[in-house]
Amino acid sequence: MADYREAPLATRPKTLDPNEYFNLSPDYRRAEAERAALRAGLKRQYQLQLNNPHRKELIEDPALNRWVYARANPYNHFKATKKTSLLGALFGVAPLFILYYVFKTDRVCYGGR
Amino acid sequence: MAGVGFQRWVRTLSKGKISGISGLLPACRSGEILTYFPINIGEIAAAAKKYNIRVEDYKPIADNGEGYGDYPQLPDRSQQDRDPAYQWDHPDLRRNWNEPMHWDFDMFIRNRVDTSPTVVPWSTMCKQLFGFVGFMLFMFYLGDKFPAYQPVGPKQFPYNNLHLERGGSPDVEPEEVKNYEI
Repeated sequence: MADYREAPLATRPKTLDPNEYFNLSPDYRRAEAERAALRAGLKRQYQLQLNNPHRKELIEDPALNRWVYARANPYNHFKATKKTSLLGALFGVAPLFILYYVFKTDRVCYGGR
Repeated sequence: MAGVGFQRWVRTLSKGKISGISGLLPACRSGEILTYFPINIGEIAAAAKKYNIRVEDYKPIADNGEGYGDYPQLPDRSQQDRDPAYQWDHPDLRRNWNEPMHWDFDMFIRNRVDTSPTVVPWSTMCKQLFGFVGFMLFMFYLGDKFPAYQPVGPKQFPYNNLHLERGGSPDVEPEEVKNYEI
């Protein structure tokens, strides 16, 4: 398995990840510990709400709210750059003209017969 | 260029109380809306705190005008790739409560795109697929070039080669056609 190459866009199995065996510096471990602490804090918040006998409403997930809001409001942060203008022209403007031309000529052909 | 300066001016003006439609939505009131791309350390730290990510780990999606704001760029790994044995808060989504969601979370659910490691390496997959398809294409090409079928002759019809059916007049005596040999 020494020559295992993962598929493009796929991940490497954890057992073949070199970080598991070679990255043992204190900084990396501290970073992992901080991440685990964040995770544990969130878990604790959730468990407190879940097991609260006086709770009557749904547990609201702030990360979900943020995600939904972010996906629904991209235009607030839209800027007309070269790339966005090109995409807009390709997908929004060009099909109108192309389809108009195609339908018009097609209809004329059938009408002439 | 003038647009960027205007945006900064609007941003500094609107810092503080959120008014208007945004004030009515519960997400906006608790300060969880998508804010602008962070430019200084203070904004980066605030955004990291908002999304529950370490400041060192927080990296906003590149600001190229596509409308991401300060949303973090999380690793592009599907939910199927996550540990199935860990006790997730939502086991079908393999996600914990309040965990930052990937921008394309709805694409990475377990029913859809999967980035988990493949069973065999990429080279083996390529060899197997293209080998099989190439071999089949080559064999079909050979079969087309050298066809192999039972020997056939022209079709034989009864009633003097279907004299009447082919429009011949019933008065005219058709010529005797013998399609057999005893």
